[in-house]
Amino acid sequence: MPVDMNVMRGFMEQIQQLGQMDVPSERPDEERVDTAKRVMLEKLDTALAVDLEACVHCGLCAEACHFYLSTEDPRYVPVRKLELMRRLYRRERGPLRWLYRLTTRDITMDDLEEWQELVYDACTVCQRCSLICPMGVHVAAGVAGMRAAMRAADLMPVEMRFVGQEQSEKGSLFGVGSEEFRQAIEELRASGLSIPLDEPRADILVLSAVTDILLFKDTLVSTIRIMNHIGASWTFSSQGYESANFGYMAGDEEWQCAASKRVYDAAVACGAQTVIVAECGHAYPALRWDGAELFGKPLPFEVLAPAEFLAREIVAGRLKVKPIGKQKKVSFHDPCKIGRVGGVVDAPRVVLQALGVDLREAEPHGVENLCCGGGAGNFLINRGMPLRQKAFELKIRQYDATGADEIVTSCDSCQMNFMAGSMMHQWNKPIEGLVALVGQNLA
Amino acid sequence: MFAEFVDGPFWYFSATVFVVGVVLRLFFALRLGTPRPLSRPRESASRGFIRTVFTRFIPRREFFPRMRLEVIAGYAFHLGLFALLFFAAPHVEFYKERILGFGWTPMPYWAFIVSAQLAFAGLLLLWLRRVLHPVSRILSDAGDHIGTILVFLVMLTGCLALAEFHDSLRVLHFFLAELLLIYFPFSSLMHTFTFVLSRGYLGAGFARHGVKA
Ligand code: SF4
Ligand code: SF4
Repeated sequence: MPVDMNVMRGFMEQIQQLGQMDVPSERPDEERVDTAKRVMLEKLDTALAVDLEACVHCGLCAEACHFYLSTEDPRYVPVRKLELMRRLYRRERGPLRWLYRLTTRDITMDDLEEWQELVYDACTVCQRCSLICPMGVHVAAGVAGMRAAMRAADLMPVEMRFVGQEQSEKGSLFGVGSEEFRQAIEELRASGLSIPLDEPRADILVLSAVTDILLFKDTLVSTIRIMNHIGASWTFSSQGYESANFGYMAGDEEWQCAASKRVYDAAVACGAQTVIVAECGHAYPALRWDGAELFGKPLPFEVLAPAEFLAREIVAGRLKVKPIGKQKKVSFHDPCKIGRVGGVVDAPRVVLQALGVDLREAEPHGVENLCCGGGAGNFLINRGMPLRQKAFELKIRQYDATGADEIVTSCDSCQMNFMAGSMMHQWNKPIEGLVALVGQNLA
Repeated sequence: MFAEFVDGPFWYFSATVFVVGVVLRLFFALRLGTPRPLSRPRESASRGFIRTVFTRFIPRREFFPRMRLEVIAGYAFHLGLFALLFFAAPHVEFYKERILGFGWTPMPYWAFIVSAQLAFAGLLLLWLRRVLHPVSRILSDAGDHIGTILVFLVMLTGCLALAEFHDSLRVLHFFLAELLLIYFPFSSLMHTFTFVLSRGYLGAGFARHGVKA
C-alpha cells in the first residue's frame, strides 16, 4: 500500500493554510517580554547555568549543525541560540548581578523576535552539536527552554500553535480524533483484519499516530499484523491512541501533559505493562524520558519504540520474518529523537539484519547521524521550508554516497520530510518505514 | 615601592578575588539545582558523568576533520600552559615559598622553551581563528579578547623575565598575572573549572538514555 502522494499533497496544503491563519498577539510587548523572561528563568537550572558559564565561544558546535553546515551562515551557530539565556542568567541569577546589569543589555521584544527564527526554524533540537562541543554544552536543552519562553510570549510559529491547541483542547490532530480513529479501525476490520480496540485488559497498549491514519496506512496495517503474528495480548485505545505530542515539540508543558495523560490513562485502564509508541520520532522521548517527570513519579509501564519492540521479539524468536535478500540495498536513517535522543540505535539494525537486506550504512550514522531537518515540529513551519530544504541537501549527499536504492527509517516525520525533500529536489530515493517493511515480510 | 605593592598587598588582593570569585560563580550555578530524573535509566548517570568528563578530551572521529586546527592548537596551548604554570622553575619555587611550603622537580630549561613555544603558537592560532572565522567572530565578545590578551602578556613577560633575569620584568609579569587572577572569575576563563560540570551533566543525561556522549 504505497503512500498516496495526493494525500501527502493535501496534508502539505493543510499545513500551508495554517500558516495563513496567524493573528497578532493582543498582549502588550512589555508583558510578553516579562513572561518570556520568567519562563527562561524557570528553565535555568544548574546544568544550563554551567553550560552558559563553560562556553568558550570557539564556534565548533557550528560544525555539527545541519543548518550551519548547509548554509555556512554564522547566525546559525548553535550556542548563539542561547545568547538571551546567557544575558538573563548574568543579569538575574549569577553573582555580581548589579555589575552585569550595567554591562549587559536587557532582553527586548526585538531580541525575542530575532531569536524566534533561531530556536524554531533553525533548530530541530537534534542534540548533534553537543557531541562536538569540547565543553559538553547541551545546546538543545537550552533551546527547549527558549521554545517554552517563546510560547509564553505568543511567539510560537502559528502552525505549531494551531496544531498544539487542537491536540490540547479537542484531543484531535488535523481533524483526526477518537471517532475518526475508530472509523479507521472499522474500515480495516472490514478488510478482514482482527483488531482489538478498547479491550478492558491487555498486556500491551499499542499507539498509533495521525500520520499513520491519514498517510502511512501501511504502517498501521503492518503494526496490526505484527501484533497478531506475535500473538500478544494487546489493544488500541480510542481514547489514548495518539503518539504525537505537540506540546513536547512546542515547549508547552501543559499541552505536553494533556497529550501524555491520555496515553497514561489508557494504559492504566487496561493494565498494560508495555506501551509501544508509533513510528513517530519525538513521541518516544516525550513519553519514555519525559513522561515520568511530567507525572512526578516513574511510569507504571515500560515505553518502547517500535524498532526496540521488533528487535526484542525477533531475538526472542516470537517474531519471524522472511529474509528479503541482499538484492535490496537499503540505508537506515536514524531519526534524532529515536537514536541520539532516544538511545535506540542498535535495534533497527537487528531488525534489518533479520530481514537479510544489504544494509549500506551512511556516513555519519547512529548517534552521530545528521538530522533530516524536519524534526521537533519544524516540518510544520512554512517559512522554514527554504532553510529546511537547504539542510536536506546534506541528506541527499549522505545517502547518494551509500549506493543504496532506498532508505528505511522509523519516524513518520522524517519520512514526510524526506518525501517533501525528494519532491523539491527531484531526488528519486524512496523511503519507507521499518514497521511497514517488517509487516510486509512476516514469515 | 611598586614591587613591594605587587609582591605584597596586591598579591593577597588578587588571590582573594580569584578564589572568592571562582567559588561564587560555581556556587551561584550550583544552587539553582536540577530536577531529579524519574524515568528508568538505561545506564547509570554518574558513570556517564565521569566518562564524558574524560572522553571529551578526545574528539569523535566523525568530527575531527572539521576541527583539526582547533584541536591541535588547543592542545598545544593548554599543555604548554599547564607545563609552564606548574613546572617552570620560578613557579615551582613560588608555590613552595608563598603558597604550599613544598615544591617538586621543575622542568629543565629546554622543556621550558618547548612548552612556551607550544603555548604561544597555540594561543596565537586560537586567537587568529577567533578573529578570522565568521562563526567565532560573531560569538566572541570583548571579554574573550581581553582574556586572550592578558594570558598572552602574562606569558610574554614571564618568558622575558626568565630569559633576562631582570627583576622589573619579574614584577611586571607578576603584576599582569595578578590582573589575570582578578579578571578570571568574570570571564570565560572560568571554563577551567566549569568544563568538568558541563561535560559531566551532558554525559549523565545522555547515559541515562543509553548514549555515550
Ligand atoms: S562548541 Fe561548545 S564551547 Fe564552543 S562555542 Fe559551541 S557551545 Fe561554546
Ligand atoms: S540541536 Fe541540532 S539543530 Fe539545534 S543547534 Fe544543535 S545541531 Fe543544530
